[in-house]
Amino acid sequence: MAGPCEVLLPTTEHNARELGEVAAVEAWRIEKKYSRYRKDSVLAWIHAQRGSTVRLDEETASLIDFAQQCFEISEGLFDITSGILRRAWKFDGSDRVPDAAVVQSLLPLIGFNKLRWRSPFLTIPDGMELDLGGIGKEYAVDRAYDLLMARSPVPFLVNFGGDLRASRPLPHGPWKVGIERPGAAQNAAMMLDLEYGALATSGDSHRFLLKDGVRFGHVLDPRTGWPVPDAPRSVTVAASSCTEAGLLSTLAMLKGAQAQRFLQEQEVRYWLLR
Amino acid sequence: MQLGADAGSVRRRLIAASCALLGSSAARGEQGSVTDQIGRLIEDWKIQSALAYYREDGRIQAIEPVISAVRDLSDGGKLALNFTFDSLSGSSPNGALPSHTPQTFASPSAKSLAAARHLYTISPGRLPADPNYSDARVAGGVDWTLPLSRLTRLSVGGKFSYEDDFYSATVNAAVERDFNDKNTTVSLSVSSENDFLQPIGGTPTPLSDYTLFEKGGHETKRGQGLLLGLTQVMRRNWLSEVNLSLDRFSGYLNDPYKLVSVIDGAGNPVAYVYENRPDSRTRRSVYLENRVGWTRTSVGLELRYMTDTWGIHSDTAQLRLRWWNAGRDQYFEPSVRWYRQSAADFYRPWIAPTAAQENYLSADSRLAAFHALTYGLKYGIRLSDRLGGFGRQGTEFNVRLEYYQQTIQNSPAAPAALQGLDLYPSLKAVLLQIGFNY
Repeated sequence: MAGPCEVLLPTTEHNARELGEVAAVEAWRIEKKYSRYRKDSVLAWIHAQRGSTVRLDEETASLIDFAQQCFEISEGLFDITSGILRRAWKFDGSDRVPDAAVVQSLLPLIGFNKLRWRSPFLTIPDGMELDLGGIGKEYAVDRAYDLLMARSPVPFLVNFGGDLRASRPLPHGPWKVGIERPGAAQNAAMMLDLEYGALATSGDSHRFLLKDGVRFGHVLDPRTGWPVPDAPRSVTVAASSCTEAGLLSTLAMLKGAQAQRFLQEQEVRYWLLR
Repeated sequence: MQLGADAGSVRRRLIAASCALLGSSAARGEQGSVTDQIGRLIEDWKIQSALAYYREDGRIQAIEPVISAVRDLSDGGKLALNFTFDSLSGSSPNGALPSHTPQTFASPSAKSLAAARHLYTISPGRLPADPNYSDARVAGGVDWTLPLSRLTRLSVGGKFSYEDDFYSATVNAAVERDFNDKNTTVSLSVSSENDFLQPIGGTPTPLSDYTLFEKGGHETKRGQGLLLGLTQVMRRNWLSEVNLSLDRFSGYLNDPYKLVSVIDGAGNPVAYVYENRPDSRTRRSVYLENRVGWTRTSVGLELRYMTDTWGIHSDTAQLRLRWWNAGRDQYFEPSVRWYRQSAADFYRPWIAPTAAQENYLSADSRLAAFHALTYGLKYGIRLSDRLGGFGRQGTEFNVRLEYYQQTIQNSPAAPAALQGLDLYPSLKAVLLQIGFNY
């Protein structure tokens, strides 16, 4: 998981270390299980069985169920099979915009509806790939949160690389959360008060291509294979769970120019930077 | 996802989807090393246990431990087991009316009025009740729910109950389907019950004079039930439920220990006959429940209307409030329940010796017209935070105290000679329950 992972607790007790370990063990467990960089991950195992049907464990099955619902809710905008577009797009600040034919050739390999999924049995057609990166970190925050809820006598905040969730206010007031604003200077970080609930942020201004004066943002529409025009630079959403907040901020990015209107309609607290 | 087409719906559906993901037992699986051997064994079981003590003023008292366990299965199904043990003792009203003179009765186990050790005498003015009543009941049940598809579930189950003089077995099956993004659930369930009765001392001949000891062997009773339910998420914090149910019982429906006093014009009990109820009963009921929750408060309102072919109509209304403390780990739950029923067509607190022989007859106060109020207070504390490594989410200790008062209404005027006696004493009872959920 990119970024620091921390648990904040207002305590001087030595159980803080134990609680931190509970969260860390859970974060490592989820990363190990779903990382696309590890050869021993469940994801790698699934990819190795392409073309044949595999039986998923219960947790992985719930994640695939969730991904399916996100695919349906977003009418294909959110798609865990779209990671394959990385083969064409390398957002390194250069001007290497891929050839349209290359992008086109990848589209047949994208689409959750091309998987055969009847929980717990999954069949991935040859050439396709799953990427749980769009869910994993937020999911890990919520899982760690649940484990700490059952153990921590004091309020706490779980922060995994900027996606976070707090249990209840500190004894003397809300948590002060700084949200980095990509592109803006460090000291321009926005300070928010959070009593309880989750915040998740999508966006990374350092990842783009620039060609002939046109900026290609890193948010790709899985249906076209091309960057979403006019996507915000960053979107932060507050919701009850980190998973929910993360999906809403991701969907807002994918909405491009309509991001703000979309967020307003969902009646959530949000912070949007263009 | 049409923008503007259905404002907020994306979020609503996402909430449902993330609840399904985060609430699933799947993720609770691998949790590290703190849990010990027993912990691992019961890790996937949610256990609720309670010990209840019930006492009626001057009548029955009961002690009832209950334990139930639910396990989420790996295929998305669920297995639920429960077990109850009841121990009742005290005085059980035998149906006869109080009198100005002492009344002597034989216990059900007696074979004649000669054996004095089976007799009990009731002082003038007191409600006749068998003082040596005691009974123990063992009951258990199992329910297995299995998903048929993402939206449909089937559940099958069975129950049994065992007492000295009564055995009962029930099987049931239900289908449940979600609609409308799982905001609506419709269920249909059927059940079938078979009971076997072997009253102590034999089954009395209905309407026979009890001094004749006309008793036969065992009897049976059957029941069938049908229930149609609709649960609707009205808003994120508001749940509404409607149930329609239809039950039919047939066979031996009498209480084999209940008598009816035969009172002459001077108010003297001249005889006692065994009651006789119709051999079938069909019951229809409508139940409506609404639950609304906010951050620290929730309200539940339950209403029920029931009517049966014995002429009993009943109304129930129950209101429950729950307040959480700021840390949301303790709550108080006051409740009040109001109940009213009309009498069965054949309810007669007594009969006159000259009365034309009635076909159906019972003086059981449970078939009388009465109203009742129950006041309750429950306190619960979540121990997850306080037990350290032993606790887990959902660990709760609670204690509940209830006070019940029942008043008989609209009873037929008593013969002049019985004036001044409390013929239909009101019933007061308390219930204390201590529960532990793990």
